Parts: sequence; C-alpha cells; structure tokens
Amino acid sequence: MDREDLELFATSLRAATERHTGAALDGALDELGWVEALDADPQAAVSVLFDLQGRANVTSSALERVVASHLGIADVTGVGVVFPTLGTWDPPGSLAGDALDVTGFGLPSLSTHDATVVVVGAPADKLTVALVATADLDRQPITGVDPELGAFAVSGSGLRAADQSVVDAAAWSDALTYGRIAVAHELVGVSRTMLELARVHALERIQFGRPISQFQAVRHRLAEALIAVETADSLVSAAWDEPTPLVASVAKSVAGRSARTAARHCQQVLAGIGFTTEHDFHLYLRRFLVLDQLLGSTRSLTRAFGEQLLHERQLPHILPL
Amino acid sequence: MDLDEFRDSLDAWLDENLDELTPVAPQDTTLDAHHDGVLDAHMAHLSKVKRMTYDAGFMRRGWPERVGGLPGSTLMRAYLGEAVQARGLAEPGLYSMTEVLAPTMIDYASPELAATMVPRLLRGDETWCQGFSEPGTGSNLAALSCKATKTDDGYLVNGQKVWTSLAQYAQRCILLTRTGDADSAHRGITALFVDVDDPGITVRPILTMHGALEFCEVFFDDVLVPFDRMLGDEGQGWGVAMDLLPFERSTSLWHRGAFLHRRFEQLLAQAPDGALDPLAVAEVGQLLYSFRARSRATQYRMASGGTLGPETSVDKVLVATIEQAVMDLALDGLGADIAGADDDISTHWRTEYLYSRSATIYGGSAEIQRNIIARRLLDLGADN
Repeated sequence: MDREDLELFATSLRAATERHTGAALDGALDELGWVEALDADPQAAVSVLFDLQGRANVTSSALERVVASHLGIADVTGVGVVFPTLGTWDPPGSLAGDALDVTGFGLPSLSTHDATVVVVGAPADKLTVALVATADLDRQPITGVDPELGAFAVSGSGLRAADQSVVDAAAWSDALTYGRIAVAHELVGVSRTMLELARVHALERIQFGRPISQFQAVRHRLAEALIAVETADSLVSAAWDEPTPLVASVAKSVAGRSARTAARHCQQVLAGIGFTTEHDFHLYLRRFLVLDQLLGSTRSLTRAFGEQLLHERQLPHILPL
Repeated sequence: MDLDEFRDSLDAWLDENLDELTPVAPQDTTLDAHHDGVLDAHMAHLSKVKRMTYDAGFMRRGWPERVGGLPGSTLMRAYLGEAVQARGLAEPGLYSMTEVLAPTMIDYASPELAATMVPRLLRGDETWCQGFSEPGTGSNLAALSCKATKTDDGYLVNGQKVWTSLAQYAQRCILLTRTGDADSAHRGITALFVDVDDPGITVRPILTMHGALEFCEVFFDDVLVPFDRMLGDEGQGWGVAMDLLPFERSTSLWHRGAFLHRRFEQLLAQAPDGALDPLAVAEVGQLLYSFRARSRATQYRMASGGTLGPETSVDKVLVATIEQAVMDLALDGLGADIAGADDDISTHWRTEYLYSRSATIYGGSAEIQRNIIARRLLDLGADN
C-alpha cells in the first residue's frame, strides 16, 4: 500500500474498532477487505489492526486468520483455531492412530465457525493440520482475569478429523512468528491506551491547587511508561523487516514487559480511581495479562532466549542498516 | 555508491588492514599509575584510525563535499562507526565525537571556516572539544555565565568551563558564552569556535574514578576571539546547542550500541559457567535488540533528511540504561575479578564498569531526558 492508501485503510479500521467488537467487528473487517489485505500486504494489515484492537480493547477473528494463513488453510475466514494453552507454544493436538486429542485455548470467535483447525506437532519432523467439527470440541468458558475477553478452555479426545493434511514442519514456527508479532502489536496498543488514560487523568486531576501533571514524580512515571511503549513499538515494527522466530519472540517479550511497566506506572498515576471498575483502566490491565500469556509469556520466552545465549555465547546480529 | 557497496568494500578493507587498525593493548591500565598514558595511546590510535579511513575514502562518505566529504547517505557514517566498534578498533566515546561536533560546524560556521576546519577533524589531524557546562551550570545550561564582551577586535572571553572532554588534547573548542545580560537566560548566549592554544586559556585535567584524565576544567582569562569565529549570530548560541544535542543522540549512539553488543558477547564468552542467570542475560540481549530497532529508525529518519528532535531522548535513555545493564551483568559474571584482579581483561572490565556509572549523567542526565519526554513528547506542560 502506498502512503495514501495506508492512511485511508488505517482510518477505516480505526472507525471499525471504535464501533464494533467480536462478530460485528469481523463483519466490518470483511467489508473493508482486511482478509485480502492480509494476503496482499500482511505488514499493513496486521500492524494497523492489532494496534487498534489493543487500543480499543476489542476482539475479532484476526489472530485466528493470521495463524491459519501460515498453516496452508485456503479460506482463513471459514475456520477457527485452537491455540496452545496460555503460557505455552507447542501445537495443542496429539494423534494416537486415527484418534485426535486436543487441549488448548480458544478465542471467543471460535464458536462462530463450523470447522476448527487443530495442529498436531508430534513427531517433531512432521506437522499435521486437522480440521474438526467445532461442535465436537468441549468448550468451557474461562472467566479468568479478563472475563470480557470471552475465551474458552478447549478440549476433546478421540475426535475424528474431517480433513487432515501433513504440511512442512516449519509452518508452525511461521504461524508462531506472525502470531507473536500480531499479539505484540496488540500489547503495544493496549499500553498506549493505558498511558493515554493516565496522561489525561494527570492533566485533569487537581491536588495541592494544581494538576498533578506538574509534579515531577508523576511526570517521570509517565515518561517511563512512554519510553517502554516506544521501545516496544520500535522493535515490533522492525520485526517486519526481519520476521524470524528469534526477532518475533524477542519482540513479543519486550512488548509484554513494556506493557507491565506501563501498567505499573499508569496505575500509580491513576491512583484510587484506576483501582475501581468505574474507570476503564482495569479492562486494559486485564487484557494485557492474557495477551502476555498467549503464544508464550514474556518470562518463558525470555528464559528460552537466555538459555540459547548462554549456550551459543553470542548474540546474533539482527536488523542491519 | 549505495550502502551495500559501501558495506562490502569497507568490510573487505577493514579485514585487509585489521592488524594495522587494531590497537595494541596498553601496557599498564591500572587505576593508580600512569593513567594518562592509556588515554594518550587511545588518542594516538584514534588519530591513526581516522587518518586511514579518511585516506581510503570511507570516513568522507555521507559528509558534504564542501567540507571534504564524498557523496553518500549518512547511513554510511553510521555503518562505518558500527564496523569500527564491532571490531574493537577505537574507543567508542572518543571515536563518535566527530558525529556531534562536525554537524554543528557545517550548519553554523562560515563556509570558509567549515571548509578549512572540518576536514582536519574528519582526518584525525585535530581533536575538538565542547565547552558547554560550567561549575554553576550543569543541567541548567541556559544559566551559563562564561562572559564574552564585544570589543573592536572581537569577543573578549572570561570565565570557566568544566567537564570539557579531551580539552588537554584539543586544538579547538566549540564554546558557549554569555553575550547578553546576566539574566538573559537562553536569549543571551553566543557560540564561538576557539583555538585552545590562544593566550589566556588554561586547561586543567580532572582524574575520573575510572582512572582517566578524560575531562578538564578550562579557564578563560581575557581570551580574544575574532568575529569570524562566531557560530551563527550573536544571541543564537542556544539554538546551536539545541541543534547539537540530537546529534549526540543519533549516529554516535548507534556506534555505542555496536560497542555494547561486542562487549556483551565478550562477557558471554568470558564469564565462568553458571555465573550468569539466563533471565538476566536475556533481558540485556532484548534491550540491545530494542535499542537497535529504535536507533535504526532514527538513522533512517536522519538519512532521509528528517529533523531529529526530542524523540531522540528516548534513544538516549535506552542506551544509557543498556550500558549500565551490560556492565551490571559483567559485575554478576566477573564480580570477583572486577573487584580484585589486575590482569588486562579484568582491568578492562573494571574501567568500563566504572565508566558506565556516568552514562545516566553525561549528555543530559537521565532526569533531564525524562523532563524533555514529559514536556515535549507527552505534552504535560512546562516543568515547575
């Protein structure tokens, strides 16, 4: 997309995410041609939408579509996807003979599709992409920390696949890479709204006869949050120049840690009102806690990276000029 | 020449000339003896590296032709410094001073003065210093009081500067002076380009805690500076200083990022098994990648002619954070040696650990950067 197209696209997506969520947002995205954009210009489609989705605290099928597009699924709008259980990233399915077992995590849009993708990753050199009837999956609503998200604990055993294909084992790594970049953009969007809520509060809240935004202790907390958000945004955006498993997992870790930093400072600036459900802040805190766990948490990805660094004793060079 | 051609020919040239470009390890780098000898060796070697890269054409790329440059993107300056730092060929702070001082001369000196002086800096013939801070003027730069009085022959300068890096080696100084009333604040400041061997200038080096005579007090006693040595107009000095600061936070920080990458890898290689915690190691690696992404965007913005402004304070905060994080990690991995061993490797880590404590102080303290971010990027209104 050229610059003008991109601005128009972003404006339309912004309006859609500010008005709709869930199935209604999927409908709006279909009308705007988001799925076609995902094919033609994935960077524009993913970076713009997921940032906005995070900012507006809304849900859609977009993450399922991103992941499905890397698993050889022809029509990504027709299927749901079972994600790995929160905090993990191995494929959620296993095969014993013809019987398919699955334990995983479902986003709310899962139930809107008749068919669901279950990925089986064992043995390690082989990746099976199975399609099962969504109705055959046990879907238990998860309250968790973010009830508004409407997620499911998904399980099933002895399932029969309606369709099953063996694809290149690297497809899961690709799906994870692009899924992580997408979630990282969403984390940046969530963080930006947390910061904006705290910034507006600081300008409006009067104590000791002046807005608290004039106190250096408050200003430095907000500055700290902005540094964290901008840092994460730079790396997540740069990941499109080098979309490798390494860069994507570091980008997601940094976005998760930055969200935690932003949440800590912004909550302190928002003080009492930010601790109540009368203010929107808590919705963003809840969402970031779930997103941080999706496709691998900051902590688990960081630990894996650290073990790699200590083993190889070098830091791979990335992002050349 | 495009960047890829530049990169390929530079890499090949550096590899061919590696022996000559690699510094000989200083014989004595301990804190309590011959400390000035180490810096002398660094300075002599830097001069050699600059001369060789200039004569081979690499150092000239990305600078205007009117000051001895050759056509090319400013990304070539960024890559040259990166390549030099990745191979450990020059001390990073000393090497990158060119990136801070030359743009100021190019933008504000008369064309004749810039054409005469800038090539000497690029080629390593001369060292320049930056006379900004004063004993009573640290973070509050606009309160500076070093006085320049207009006479028939030029400005007569009286006063004192401090933290002036490399003044004892420098031939020239970019100096901020007060030409307005004492209370004229940022409006009454004028920038001058001064010869450090002028009568009336006294330089007294200060020994830092990392064992170097790196910065100095500089005293000015009736020093006459001709009018053609003014940078910009009278009263424009604040603008000169403000335009210089983003340069302090762009190319030179990219170079420092490459230096920190190399030192991080050396730490991974040198720390004993089990000494480093994987989470702590990974967090520093992630920070290095984050800074690289951030500073890379800054390099591209600069190369496409964009203006650099307060957003570079984020780059500065990040690189200072990382420098201290790498050296804190070195303390985790090699703490006993840093504290109590005198071999070259341990001494090198000790020197850099101690130096890293200044990363959040110099070039605009961590607090000043956060003030800038709050006021200019978050739009929180004036500081109180």
